[in-house]
Amino acid sequence: MIYNSKLLVGKTAFVTGCNRGIGAKIIEIFAQNGANIFAHARKKNINFEKKLKALTLKYGVKINPIYFDLIDDIEIKSSLKSLYKDKVGIDILVNNAGIAHGGLIQMTPIDNIKNIFQVNVFSQLLIIQNLIKLLKINKNSSIINITSIAGIDAEAGSIAYGSSKAAFIFATKVLAKELIIDNIRVNAVAPGLTDTDMAELMELKAKSKMIQSSGMKRIASTTEIANAVLYLASDLSIFVNGQVIRVDGGI
Amino acid sequence: MTNLEKYNSVFKECFMIEEIQLEELIYQSVISWDSVGHMGLIAQLEEAFDIMLDTDDIIDFSSYKIGKEILKKYDIQF
Repeated sequence: MIYNSKLLVGKTAFVTGCNRGIGAKIIEIFAQNGANIFAHARKKNINFEKKLKALTLKYGVKINPIYFDLIDDIEIKSSLKSLYKDKVGIDILVNNAGIAHGGLIQMTPIDNIKNIFQVNVFSQLLIIQNLIKLLKINKNSSIINITSIAGIDAEAGSIAYGSSKAAFIFATKVLAKELIIDNIRVNAVAPGLTDTDMAELMELKAKSKMIQSSGMKRIASTTEIANAVLYLASDLSIFVNGQVIRVDGGI
Repeated sequence: MTNLEKYNSVFKECFMIEEIQLEELIYQSVISWDSVGHMGLIAQLEEAFDIMLDTDDIIDFSSYKIGKEILKKYDIQF
């Protein structure tokens, strides 16, 4: 179910990884709720820009694409620097972009683990670090980090991905304490298995095990995850800080 | 007030120190210039000069002298 309560009118959001999956749904729901959006994708993409244009027309909000690759620190910094020209405050930052990986430790080259951490942890921290000043401007901002239950429940085969998400969860809690002085709340959403391209990459046995362990015996829709993000982005959660919300159907 | 006077004034107010201490002042050389004090200093400088320092410059801002060089990048002349 998609709620249309105009919860984000007058707010500006920056969302990473919007080309598909959870990120695409987040910007749809944010636009529907009246937010202006900087929508990030890895590479310039005509279809992506068409989708943004359609959302803009449908909901009467401003959506600007922004492109950078999360493995390239210099590209991240220079792209974010461009936002400082207008000194427009950002009210909501959703760190959604990430990459999945499955594999036992003995089958995972250390360079793969480093790469996963670069994208899922270090680049996310770099983005936060470089947007803090814009998040401070409006004196009531919210950062939402998209983590995973894989970073909470240790399972064989999740050494790289699970460890990276666990690190991101810990960072969320630390940042919640550091940034609240500037009225920036920091929370995380930890989705269970969700209906995205990422889930398609999972081995069938592991996927089936995850579904069976869910209280609701099914995978989440991207809307169900995005609605939790909407709650944390809006003033409905104004007194919520440093929390990790599991959206997994009850495990 | 000149830029130098403004710059000195921010340091003196933030760290409760005397003018004579400024030239040799480096990060953590006085108790008040710790990590929290550093962020306070940056906020005061940004307000005083109406600038926004880049993250890399905030990290590199490790002394009174280096700070002056960094501010020159933002067209603040001393």
